[in-house]
Formats: sequence, structure tokens, C-alpha cells
Amino acid sequence: MTYKKELLEIKNLHAGVEGKEIIKGLNLTINEGEVHAIMGPNGAGKSTLSHILTGKPGYVVSSGEILFHGKNLLDLKTEERALEGLFLMMQYPVEIEGVPMMTFLKYAMNAKRKYQGLEELDMSEFMKTVRKQASKLNISSEMLKRAINVGFSGGEKKRMETLQMALLNPDLAILDEADSGLDIDALKTVFLGINALLDGKKSLLIITHHDDLFEYVKPDFVHVFSDGKIIKSGDQTLAFTLEAKGYTDFINEAKC
Amino acid sequence: MLKFSDHIQFQDSSVPSLFSFQQKGREVCAHLTDLKTEAFKYTPIESVLTENYFKVSKNAHDHTHCDCEKKFLPFEAHEIHFCDGALHHHLHYIEGAECLSLEDAFADHETAPYLNKIDLDKFPLAALNTAYVQEGIFLRISKTPAKPIALIYNGKSAGFHNIRNFIILEKGVTAEIFELYQGNDEAYFINMVNEIFVAPDATLTHYLWQNDGKTAVHSSFNHVHVKENGHFNSFAFQTGSKLSRCETHVLLEQENATALVNGAYVIGSQTLADTTTDIEHLSAHTNSDQIVKGVMRDHAHGVFQGKILIKPGAVQTNGHQTHRALLLSDDAKVDVKPALEIYADDVKCSHGATSGALDEEQLFYLKSRGIAEDEAKKILTSAFLNEACEAISNQEIKAFFEKLSFQI
Ligand SMILES: Nc1ncnc2c1ncn2[C@@H]1O[C@H](COP(=O)(O)OP(=O)(O)O)[C@@H](O)[C@H]1O
Ligand SMILES: [Mg+2]
Repeated sequence: MTYKKELLEIKNLHAGVEGKEIIKGLNLTINEGEVHAIMGPNGAGKSTLSHILTGKPGYVVSSGEILFHGKNLLDLKTEERALEGLFLMMQYPVEIEGVPMMTFLKYAMNAKRKYQGLEELDMSEFMKTVRKQASKLNISSEMLKRAINVGFSGGEKKRMETLQMALLNPDLAILDEADSGLDIDALKTVFLGINALLDGKKSLLIITHHDDLFEYVKPDFVHVFSDGKIIKSGDQTLAFTLEAKGYTDFINEAKC
Repeated sequence: MLKFSDHIQFQDSSVPSLFSFQQKGREVCAHLTDLKTEAFKYTPIESVLTENYFKVSKNAHDHTHCDCEKKFLPFEAHEIHFCDGALHHHLHYIEGAECLSLEDAFADHETAPYLNKIDLDKFPLAALNTAYVQEGIFLRISKTPAKPIALIYNGKSAGFHNIRNFIILEKGVTAEIFELYQGNDEAYFINMVNEIFVAPDATLTHYLWQNDGKTAVHSSFNHVHVKENGHFNSFAFQTGSKLSRCETHVLLEQENATALVNGAYVIGSQTLADTTTDIEHLSAHTNSDQIVKGVMRDHAHGVFQGKILIKPGAVQTNGHQTHRALLLSDDAKVDVKPALEIYADDVKCSHGATSGALDEEQLFYLKSRGIAEDEAKKILTSAFLNEACEAISNQEIKAFFEKLSFQI
């Protein structure tokens, strides 16, 4: 077996928000190039996990450790985590009136380039790069002219998030319910788009309810998440069992 | 008598008609005991004005060796410069316009039809300006100029600087005036009055950037008359001085006259910026709209007082007003006093005010894409301000303000 390099290591994590413990002893290791899926019922704490990983204000870690590229992730600010190669595709991307999408993409890409010691992109290079990726995701230039996520449909928002992932080229992307609210066509565009970005080194942490998207992106590992921790891990067949039984029965059986 | 009156150093004008103009101001000032009127409820201008602002400093600015003649603005404009309240050098020729110094205009009786339009008893700072006016210009525009006319006021020495301008747009003319106030750290008090007359079918767009020095006290008062189908559009951006007041009083005197009175301010440390507007709808079918946005950091204090008055008979009018404040610190504060006085039927009037901090979700979103906190805040702050610039039709000037709102 080839040697796998650890990318993300979560060790016995306890964390919460507003004094309420939501993550209750989570362990998870993601190696370079692996696709992991977390499945679990509403309110289990999946989004909370994604917010803790990205350092959203208000979320507090009470114990445990998170390493990313071997560094203590919790010592880094949100923007430093992004520059280190962590990306979160948000469940509900926020709308920002008054900031054009292109302006925003330019700031984000140049922040990354600066961190890597590269020169800022010149305008024509930037436009070319964005347009190329955008066309793969069926994003029109009219959409790129709008303010960040303003007036976008659910599917458009997710395609825009995918575009950002393509442009920022993270090492680990967390997809928080990237499939929710998408019709079949949009699901296909988004996940084939994500699949095309996988290069053997990039890793994914997919948070989802359903196995539909696995048609386009194959998980190496599936974890069942309940009440703040992983209760069972397996391969893709676990997802099918889960879908067949339903969360409640599956979780009750697992507890016995 | 005002507490600082004894410190004012002043020479009477040698032009008789200007001298009698000053005398009228002096008479009103003689009855003034303080500036603590209702109109200055939130803006303690008098307590800020110590005697330092009225003494002419020893190291007074030397007009013969100064850079005030250089071009200041990054866009094409006829630039007219003032230094410490004095018109700096001979006036340019502006095609389609007559531009005279205040003394010349008074001497030629050009100003006669435009005098005594401000009720000095109601506006103490305008009374002071009248009493102690040093210089100004008389600008009558009879043909649409090719480029904006810029008035640039440099504060270089301590002292009390009073400037009075008369700006007249003749029928059908479209013109843009850009006023820039800037200065050093000397204790100067610039007290400015513009009397603006917009004839039928004429459009004046008035821009103002108040970037005075951080010790300066600034007051600019724009008193505007708009006739039938005339338009007054303005955008005032306040970023400088220790205490500033930008007051706009518009009289929509005939049918289909409109006013768009927009503004923004970005202030920090202990500064105060006051935006006061008073729009009088005196005739039917008149329209006004205002949007003012303020950003406050540190211990800064924003003030917005907006009044819309609909006189009897001014039916089928629209008057709208919005003020939005962005408070970037817990110690910053804003006082908002809207007033609608409606004495006619069939009118649409509204006012709205909001205040709040930056949206945490938006900030998090930008940071999660690798954008540093400071830069993310700037992006959101300038996006907030840009709504107030949206109506600016001159793209170069719009870009100028948008860039400024990002840098500040
Ligand atoms: N900001 C918050 N304040 C209080 N409770 C929260 C907050 N965010 C999430 N929660 C609670 O934490 C639990 C987990 O929520 P979440 O992580 O969104 O679950 P999931 O994404 O698995 O559906 C829920 O009970 C939710 O109500
Ligand atoms: Mg969720």
C-alpha cells in the first residue's frame, strides 16, 4: 500500500456554540487525495463542524485537537486557514450587496497569490482565468457582473461556490450540503464540476443527506454522524444501507 | 455678543455696497449671544471654537510661495483656488461663464438681484459669514461649460475664514461644481456660504469633498433656489476636520423643480460630522430625494438632521429621505433627527433611518476566502457607502468618490 500523507486530523473534539455542546468527541483523519462523506440527520452538528474547521466567530472548542498540514488549525485565523488550503462551500452562501462578484474574486485570488509569494494577476490574465472556469460551470458573464450572490437561485449560488473552489484551488474542500435544493441538472453540473477538480491530491469532506451525488463524486469513506460524533464508518455501501433503512432505524440499531 | 467676537480680526470692505452688506450681518451678530440653538442641538460648535480659531497665526501662510496653484483634482476641471479665505490668484476665463471676485461683483452691482435671500436671524453662521466675509466669487453661467468648475479651499494658517459665493445658472444651462476643502493641522475655522440660483430648465450638480485638516472646524451652508423644471443634484462627502457641518437648504420654488441631496461621511477618532438638510416644497409637482450614509469609527459622532417641508398648495409632491449609519466601534454614536412638515394633500413623503454594525456573516464569508480582516472590512464599508454615490452621473467623479470611499 502506498504511503498516505495526513491532511486533516481531528482528535477527540468537543465543541459548541453559546455554551451548548454540539460536537461531542469527534475523531476523523483525512489523508491527501481522499474523498470523505459525512451523513447524518438534521441538527446532528454537521454544519457546526464545518464552522469550527473554518473558525467562524461564536463557535468554541472546549477540548481536543485539529491538525491541518500538521499545523494546529485552531491557532490560525479564518483567512489564514483559507490561505493554507481550506475551503468551505457554504450551505447558505451570504448575499453581499454592493460588491461585484468579479471584484471579490480578484481580492480572493490575489490574497492567495500574495501568500504564495506570487505577483498579483494582471487584469487580462485574471479575466481569462475566471471566464475559462466559469464557462465549464455554465456561469454567464452577466452573472459575474452581479453583486456577490445577490439575486442568485440556489443552483446559481452553488455553481458560484464551485467557481470559487476552482479558482482558489484548495487542498481540502468542505462541501456543506452542496446538493440541497438542487434539481437533477444543477446537481450534475456542480458535482461533475467538482469531480473535474480532483487531481489525486485534493481532498473532499462532503456533508450530505442523500447518496444521489455519489453518482458524480465517489466517496472513499462514508461516516454516519449522529449527536455530535461519528457512530459508524465504512465505504460507499454504508450510504446505501443508510438510505434503505433511514436515519432513525440505522442510528437506533447502531446504539444497541 | 458671541464669546469669541472680540478675537475676530477684520477689515471693513472699501467697496461701499459690500461694506453695507457686511453691516447688515454685523447688526444681526450684535444680537447673537450664543450658537446653542435647536439647530445645533447635537453639534456643539461653540464649545469647540476657542480663541485660537480667531487669532491670525504668527507664521501666517505666505501666498507668494505656495503650492495652491497646482492642479489638485485627478480629472479635468476649471480649478479656482482659495487660500485661507482669500481668492488665490486671478480668475480663469471660463467659456460661457462670467466669473468675478466678490468685490468686483459688488462694485459692478452684479450681486444686487441676489442679495438678502437668506434670513440671517435664522442662520447664525450665515450671519457671521455676512458680517466678516473676506472674499468669494460671483459665477454666472450662461452656457453649459465643457468641464466641471472646481472651487478649492486650502486652509494653511489659523484663523477665521469666511467665503461667500454666488452661483447663478441661467435658463437651460447644465453645469457641475466641485468643491474641495483641504488643509493642514492649523486651527482654522472655515465658514462658507454659497447662494445658488437655478433658473428654469437648468441643472446644477454640486459635489463637495470636505477633507479639512484634523484641527479645523468646518461649516458650509448651501442655500439653493430652484425654478420651474430646474434640478439641483448634490453629493457631499465629509471625511476631514474636527467638527464639521454641511447644511443644504433647498427651495423648490416652481413646478417640476427637483432636488437630489445625497451625502456620505467617514469619520474616526473624536470627530463630529453633521449633515443638515432642509428641503422646502413651495410649489406643486416638486420632487426631492435624499440618501445619506455615514461610517463611524472610534469615538466619532455622526449627526443627521433632515427636514422636508411641504407648503400649502404644493400638491402632488414627493419628498423622500434616508439615513443609514454604519458603526464600526461601540464608542461611536449617531444622532438622527428627521422632520416632515406637511401642509398639503396628495403628497408622498417618507423618511427612514437605520444604524448597525458590519454584518458578521458577510465578514466571515470574505475571510473564509482568504481575504484579510482589514481588507474585508474595507470592501464592506465601501460597498455600504457606494449606495450614496450611485446617482452620480459623471462617471469620472463617481469613480473618484468610489476610490476615496475604499481608501478612507
Ligand atoms: N449559532 C447557534 N446558536 C445556537 N445553537 C446553534 C447555533 N448553530 C447551531 N446550533 C444548534 O446546534 C445543533 C447542530 O446544528 P447544525 O450544526 O446546523 O446541524 P446540521 O448541520 O447537522 O443540521 C442544532 O441543534 C442547532 O440548533
Ligand atoms: Mg447543516
